[in-house]
Amino acid sequence: MSELRVRAGGLYTTVQDTGRFGHYHMGMPPSGAMDTYSAVVANMLVGNPDGAGVLEGTYVGPTLEFTDDRLVAVTGADVPVTLNDEPVEPWTAIRVRSGDVLGFAMIRAGCRAYVAVSGGIDVPVYLGSRSTYTLTGIGGHEGRKLVDDESLPLGAAEGPGRDGAVVPEDLRPDLTGTAELRTVVGLCSYRLTEGGLASFLGTDWKVTKDADRVGYRLRGGKLDFTEREQPFGAGSDPANVVDLGYPVGSIQVPGGDEPIVLLNDAVTGGGYATIGTVISVDRDRIAQTKTGDAVRFNSVDLDTALAARRDRRERIERVRSRIAR
Amino acid sequence: METTTLRVLPCGDTALLVESAGLDDVLALHAALDADRPAGVVDLVPAARTLLLRFDPDRTDVAAVERAVREACPRDVTRSGGELVEIPVVYDGPDLADVAHHTGLSERDVIAEHTGGEWTVAFGGFAPGFGYLTGGSPRLEVPRRPESRTRVPTGSVALAGTFSGVYPRSSPGGWQLIGRTDLVTWDVDRDPPALLRPGVRVRFVETTASADSGGSASTGGAA
Repeated sequence: MSELRVRAGGLYTTVQDTGRFGHYHMGMPPSGAMDTYSAVVANMLVGNPDGAGVLEGTYVGPTLEFTDDRLVAVTGADVPVTLNDEPVEPWTAIRVRSGDVLGFAMIRAGCRAYVAVSGGIDVPVYLGSRSTYTLTGIGGHEGRKLVDDESLPLGAAEGPGRDGAVVPEDLRPDLTGTAELRTVVGLCSYRLTEGGLASFLGTDWKVTKDADRVGYRLRGGKLDFTEREQPFGAGSDPANVVDLGYPVGSIQVPGGDEPIVLLNDAVTGGGYATIGTVISVDRDRIAQTKTGDAVRFNSVDLDTALAARRDRRERIERVRSRIAR
Repeated sequence: METTTLRVLPCGDTALLVESAGLDDVLALHAALDADRPAGVVDLVPAARTLLLRFDPDRTDVAAVERAVREACPRDVTRSGGELVEIPVVYDGPDLADVAHHTGLSERDVIAEHTGGEWTVAFGGFAPGFGYLTGGSPRLEVPRRPESRTRVPTGSVALAGTFSGVYPRSSPGGWQLIGRTDLVTWDVDRDPPALLRPGVRVRFVETTASADSGGSASTGGAA
């Protein structure tokens, strides 16, 4: 039986893949790796399909012991990684053998590290995905974060992974400085005054301690709305106060001073005005911010958002071809 | 069906929000698009006056999705005839007095109105297992709380707008809490896990005993 031993679960480590889609209407968010790029690239390094199960560690990574020959790769946050207490390179496929122990030191930049193992973390598929959604306890490993001294099933390592395959520096995300989040303003942004919108876009927001897979609450500015928040259901319109579906990445500002960016495990709908949506590519970037980090919203149009997406797909293909060599 | 009232709003690069005149229009549009799903659309999320379409931008684009929405022929949906679920409720919610105040009813009358008619799940959303119940007494229309609570207990029975709902698990929430139930509305070991799915009819039944109350007698009616 092939398994991965979890000696220490770390602070908040879960099994994730590229997400659970098609169940949004029943209130089921997609979950999945918060930093998709890093998760997909980690899988590529060890020869897995892009959507194989990986581990997402938060702040403090897990300690993992291997029980057979595997390739392992760590991507995402900038964090020192060790194999049997010796430093090893991140963004690199590393050959491990039975008894080898992978460990993490303190994170230097970013927030979430991804661990891919050849064969993938082979937890049962629930509603089409291996992603963990802890709020209702489904998916992943028993629907929860990992704890010390347990084991995870691994799939058969039959992929084309190659020991020493490495992602060049220029294809790794830059996690330093203020996180610039390209945002399509819209939906209910008309409820903000012009000054309110300018202040939303002009503020260096700070990530508060309320920042997790559900969403990020930010602080640092004040936004003026054109009118007081209308009570739900009062009168005939406008629609922005009636419950509606929230897309992942959407930004709402209850109270006017603390924007919340909804992320992979967020509620799927509700009655708050949404003033914009962080483009899909840059959700990877906010996922790599932590409490105290600075975040800015840059208004972009839809074409820019789509170009950014094409650009990322091209980066992923460049990684794929570099690794294949 | 009037389609000129549709307003299509972008939500980033992977979703569109279609605003419609009301719930019936939304459900009619949803039924049409669900029956003949446009290529690349991965999720259709109906809500009170909107339909959220999430799509895979690698397989389609905003213009194609918007075209599909505008060309869809909304079909009338009957929101009745579904399975009937009885929900036992202890009416001791912290907002019962506020609801009485808003509606001009006595607390007893609020309970009578809530238990007096049949509700129907119009759509789901918010959290897994949450169903938006419609068709109840129009006298129960109330605004949401001015401030939402950071933690609403599992099983809370609530009102907002013309809707009623049951919180399937502890979560933040801004609805008016009038009572609580022991009935498990979301259970991952059940297939399907959600009890309150679109089309299901609901009748609330007042009960006085609850496993939560600490009393010895429990007729809780947990699933």
